[in-house]
Amino acid sequence: MGDDTPFPALSRMVRSPYDNFRQQFAQVTNPPIDPIREQIVMSLETCLGRERNMFDETPEHAARLLVDSPVLSHGKFQQLLEMGKNDNDYASEIISLNYNKDVDLKSAIIDITDKASAAIKNGKVVLVLSDRDIAEDTRPVHALLATGAVHHRLIRDGLRCDANLIIETGTARDPHHFATLLGYGATCIYPYMAFEVLNDLMNTGEIKDGKLTDLEANYRKGINKGLYKITSKMGISTIASYRGSQLFESVGLHQDVVDLCFSGTTNRVSGIKFEDLQADQDLLCKLAWNPRKSINQGGLLKFIHGGEDHAYNPDVVRTMQEAVKSGDYSKWQMYADLVNNRQPLALRDLLKLRDDVDAISVDGVEPMEEIVKRFDSAAMSLGALSPEAHQTLATAMNRLGARSNSGEGGEDPERYGTERRSKIKQVASGRFGVTPAYLRSAEVMQIKIAQGAKPGEGGQLPGHKVNDLIAQHRYCKPGVSLISPPPHHDIYSIEDLAQLIFDLKQVNPDGLVSVKLVAEAGVGTIAAGVAKAYADLITVSGYDGGTGASPLTSVKYAGSPWELGLSETHQILRANDLRGKVRLQTDGGLKTGLDVVKAAILGAESFGFGTGPMIAMGCKYLRICHLNNCATGVATQDNILRSKYYLGEVEWVMNYFRFIAEDVRHLLASLGARSLTEIIGRTDLLVKLEGNTSKQQSLDLSQLVSDGGVSSDKAQYCLEPFNEPFDKGELAEQMVKDAMNAIENRTGGEFSYTVQNIHRSIGARLSGEIAVRHGNLGMEDKPVILKLAGTAGQSFGVWNAGGLHMYLDGDANDYVGKGMAGGKLVIRPPQGSNFDSHETTIIGNTCLYGATGGTLYASGLAGERFGVRNSGCHTVVEGIGDHGCEYMTGGHVTILGKTGINFGAAMTGGFAYVYDEDNNFADCINQDVDIQRMLPENMEAHRNHLRSVIEDFVKETGSNRGQYILDNFTDCVGKFWLVKPKATKLESLMDDLQRRAA
Amino acid sequence: MGNHFQFLQVERHDPEKKSVEIRVKEYREIYGEFDQNRAAEQADRCLHCGNPYCEWKCPVHNYIPNWLQLIAEGNIDEAVELSHLTNSLPEITGRVCPQDRLCEGSCTLNEGGFGAVTIGNVEKYISDTAFDKGWVPDLSKVKDTGKKVAIVGAGPAGLSCADVLARNGVKAVVYDRHPEIGGLLTFGIPEFKLEKEVVMRRRKIFEGMGIEFKLNVEVGKDLSFQDLIDNHDAVFLGMGTYNYMKARIPGEDLPGVYSALDFLISNVNRCHGFEKDKADYIGMQGRHVVVLGGGDTAMDCNRTSIRQGAASVTCAYRRDEANMPGSKREVVNAKEEGVRFMFNRQPVEIVGDDRVIGVKVVTTQLGEPDERGRRRPEVVEGSEEIIMADAVIVAFGFQPSPADWFSDFNIDTDERGRVVAPENGEFKFQTANPKIFAGGDMVRGSDLVVTAIWEGREAADGILGYLDV
Repeated sequence: MGDDTPFPALSRMVRSPYDNFRQQFAQVTNPPIDPIREQIVMSLETCLGRERNMFDETPEHAARLLVDSPVLSHGKFQQLLEMGKNDNDYASEIISLNYNKDVDLKSAIIDITDKASAAIKNGKVVLVLSDRDIAEDTRPVHALLATGAVHHRLIRDGLRCDANLIIETGTARDPHHFATLLGYGATCIYPYMAFEVLNDLMNTGEIKDGKLTDLEANYRKGINKGLYKITSKMGISTIASYRGSQLFESVGLHQDVVDLCFSGTTNRVSGIKFEDLQADQDLLCKLAWNPRKSINQGGLLKFIHGGEDHAYNPDVVRTMQEAVKSGDYSKWQMYADLVNNRQPLALRDLLKLRDDVDAISVDGVEPMEEIVKRFDSAAMSLGALSPEAHQTLATAMNRLGARSNSGEGGEDPERYGTERRSKIKQVASGRFGVTPAYLRSAEVMQIKIAQGAKPGEGGQLPGHKVNDLIAQHRYCKPGVSLISPPPHHDIYSIEDLAQLIFDLKQVNPDGLVSVKLVAEAGVGTIAAGVAKAYADLITVSGYDGGTGASPLTSVKYAGSPWELGLSETHQILRANDLRGKVRLQTDGGLKTGLDVVKAAILGAESFGFGTGPMIAMGCKYLRICHLNNCATGVATQDNILRSKYYLGEVEWVMNYFRFIAEDVRHLLASLGARSLTEIIGRTDLLVKLEGNTSKQQSLDLSQLVSDGGVSSDKAQYCLEPFNEPFDKGELAEQMVKDAMNAIENRTGGEFSYTVQNIHRSIGARLSGEIAVRHGNLGMEDKPVILKLAGTAGQSFGVWNAGGLHMYLDGDANDYVGKGMAGGKLVIRPPQGSNFDSHETTIIGNTCLYGATGGTLYASGLAGERFGVRNSGCHTVVEGIGDHGCEYMTGGHVTILGKTGINFGAAMTGGFAYVYDEDNNFADCINQDVDIQRMLPENMEAHRNHLRSVIEDFVKETGSNRGQYILDNFTDCVGKFWLVKPKATKLESLMDDLQRRAA
Repeated sequence: MGNHFQFLQVERHDPEKKSVEIRVKEYREIYGEFDQNRAAEQADRCLHCGNPYCEWKCPVHNYIPNWLQLIAEGNIDEAVELSHLTNSLPEITGRVCPQDRLCEGSCTLNEGGFGAVTIGNVEKYISDTAFDKGWVPDLSKVKDTGKKVAIVGAGPAGLSCADVLARNGVKAVVYDRHPEIGGLLTFGIPEFKLEKEVVMRRRKIFEGMGIEFKLNVEVGKDLSFQDLIDNHDAVFLGMGTYNYMKARIPGEDLPGVYSALDFLISNVNRCHGFEKDKADYIGMQGRHVVVLGGGDTAMDCNRTSIRQGAASVTCAYRRDEANMPGSKREVVNAKEEGVRFMFNRQPVEIVGDDRVIGVKVVTTQLGEPDERGRRRPEVVEGSEEIIMADAVIVAFGFQPSPADWFSDFNIDTDERGRVVAPENGEFKFQTANPKIFAGGDMVRGSDLVVTAIWEGREAADGILGYLDV
């Protein structure tokens, strides 16, 4: 339920040139940033004035003007112009973007760049590109075209560092507009029209009370936050490094336009020419200067009669619901015709199937039952969907022999092994409910790197949707907002991803691992890396996927069409001999059999569906999923709405997929193919349609339908059942062999091994075997105990189940106790070591990420992001790095030494004790938590608790540090802080702890 | 939007209806009005769906969710402007539209079982309140184009066309053979649905916009069509459909059998002093009335008969209640007011020698759907019965009534007598004669007020294009 409108090149409306640009985002190659919780690293500070030789140091170097945001207020803009009058360092020139309408657009742009270059050569510094002085006989050059063209001209002329580009424009309105201007070289932007609109809204009473200056300030604040979000998607923290970075893919601009204005931008589908842009502008001006034309009511975000086309318009939704409810294939064909014969809205709509091949009889085509096996439902969590809707979907998929996807949010263990289970279990950045039993119940474990609706962004389940049930599955407290971070904190690189895949294959050796990516330029290269990291399945989603709960600014501008991402991925995988090792799936707005067949031809062998099945079970595309008031009961946790107003039936969803499969069979017959496999990668079966508009006609889709120059004898689809990792995990296999009896008979036992850092994910194999037989915690009282010595590799104790206790004398790498659900991990320095444990690192980064239970004792320092997303583990360490306890929702953490900065960001549950010897912890906390001393009378219970925690820690680890604190407890306790989330009451902390223990 | 759960916590409330005892004694609208709080509270029930089904279903595509929000926020000034962007007569559609088949029928809340948002009454509230505050359209920015267009027929199509033309600086002169504007709005729709003051008020507004009305002028009789063509830059025809559909059964010409429109118009004429001859009045006092038909016009006849003091009123319809074509709301109102319904009855003969004594009907059952999806009634053998009656009103709908002079001016009609003026031509609703445009019932066949408004407005857009303004 993401963006269902056409790209500008396909649209029949006049669309803003900003819409041609898709924001790039980080997936796998580097992590996106959480700009809210890690605000501490973000900055929009912008310098004006000439840049000078960075190898010199002169007093003139200091002549820079600093503004805190590139979005200028009226006052600042005026001030800057004033300064330009007498201060040569900021001498300014205003260049009008309006040109005589008889001149052609390209010449007008070149003329502007000439003027800009001349002005800088004449000693000007601040160039104001302004479209403000409009007149009936002139036409404005769009600010984005002008900005990019001037930027590149100044670079070519060697003048760029001597100039600042200030854009005074009426075209910039939402954060994406600002980001594109900045990405193509703007220094600052003065959005006069946006301010005018605010003024007007106030005058008409649509914004009540408030001063105009406040409104403008709020608006700028909003844009600033939007800019943070956009830059952080790419993992960029300062606007200075984003400026001029061109982190966009252009879709559908003619190469000539790109060469002049956006040189160097990826532009795979050439299309809209200068003439088209000029014709658009003429049309806009004609409307604008005609006083009888009223301002239109929009239509980009929602369907409006006469506005932009929407793929899921009311007709489509209605017809489809009628068809699946009645089970009548002729009604379905009416729906399919509506979709297949719509005005071109997606790139695939300009490709048709060849009709000159010898058709075969439908009877000769593989049966519907074979085809539906290739269908998955897209990840939608319990939380996003109501339990009723979630189970309807799962049941329907299971009865069809297809697969449903749990989404991020855990699953009721009652559903494991029944027809209500989700065969695909998702592992997303929040790791909610990801336990060994959960993973063992999966046929496919899907790592969601990005999602189509909002790639590069995290997610949030608002507190009002978190009821008791949701809270239970997600291991948190009801009513608390749950945050999925933008990055997986254990995936900052492709090697990290390979590690996570290995972790998953260890805990569930029978399961397949799938990695979900979103189409963008370069996704093929990423996919090749993912295949080499031993994923079994790769999903490439289009920009149009996603939920009705996503923020509008995210839905619109990030991600590319899946047609581009899929064909690129398919071609690159083939070129690198990887296509035969992985299954390739696509999703994003697939609606009919024709969509499926086209996707297969472009390289997919498996297909994902999100919005379609939701509508089949009664969703009416209300786009209010985030409000918990879904009137169809599909996307709400409200008891009344769920119980009285959810009407969806399993059969409706099954009909939806049966009909699609039936469509597919008929189309295969018309292509002379007996099975879907035969047409995978057969791009020769597609022909380009002419298109109905000048823009559509100029679109060049040759890259889509090419074979990428790869020899035809290379695999077109997956040929192997598993993508077997190189690392066979032999030590882990030995452990399973040794302990199997102890697990099967639930007797427990003790075993000893030596480990090296090549031994990764130690414990996961055992935890998987325990969890599949006894559940997450079923063996807690009869543990298998491993005595280990040496240096453990990555992910020591990952997905640890209750009933596995591992004692490691030595040290461990990153991700210790990641996703642990129970049991105990104890890591202590080898006997006889003579360093101070509280000054020596013993475990690496991102330990206890997503842990839901168990205990971790480490006698030494932990790395960065200790306890991130912990929701139940109890732990003691002797010091940690930055961003400790980030997004923590439960459990409890004791730190007997220093912490880094930004402690407790977005921490909404659990609590921590921190020993602050140097009295500087108060500078390290994030504003989401508050801290208090442990000495006051009312803290007695906590003092006692702290003491028993440390006693236990010392007993297990023999920590000198712990012993010292116990020995001097009366003195030391005064140096402890209790850290808790701001919203949590102090009194409730101990109660929660006892409840958890009970 | 204030409260996301308003639709659950606050039930749908229409303004209060008057009690039946009062209703049947007067020719006044039966619904009360929203006050500001009630209107805001009801408007706030809107979910603001991603797909605004109400707006999509609305023939004029009113920006319904948008003005609901403005009303929820108490912003009547913006709401009335927005409401007039798509609709020339919102206070009238708010009253007479069959919302339960259109916007409210497709409202997500209606389909979900929560009760639709009271869209019609909010629409009415917006205009009524704004008018009371003295609102008039702002035409200060309109530049006179110097063009002049004649409009034949002051019904909803003609009025809407005139409205759009006037807002675009084109002089509109509206001709009508009746003594008052409104066409069927005034003379066909009874006062208990639409009080005539409402139309009068709109007339004042239109006159204030510079629209000129020439009433009591029948084009083709009092004024030659050639004159119109010669003296205007274009002509719009919005003359409606006035031939009533015959029952085509024996006895139809007996005294005591009336056409629905004759009956309704005579009642309005009497109430408003437009009556030319007392003998034109058709009164039902003390009579046993049978109304044949099941549409909105049939309901109008039923309820007018009740108000005239009929001894009994029976409505016979050949399909079942679920398959009635008109507004469900009007059927409910009619039942409340004492109309007896006989469903699945098809008249086969009107019985009587020198005047009506009854209607012979047969019972029907519903068979397969026809090409429009409505199930065909089939006769049950041996089910004849006679409903006693001394007055019968035939309300089977209307057919086009093309003027005899159409062919002289190259105005084409189709096989059903409808004027050919395609909606998707180069200039919308242009007839075969480029200077002549047409819209409303005479083009589409008899339909709703709101579709006539749409066609009138679209035709105006066609005319503006044709005049190149």
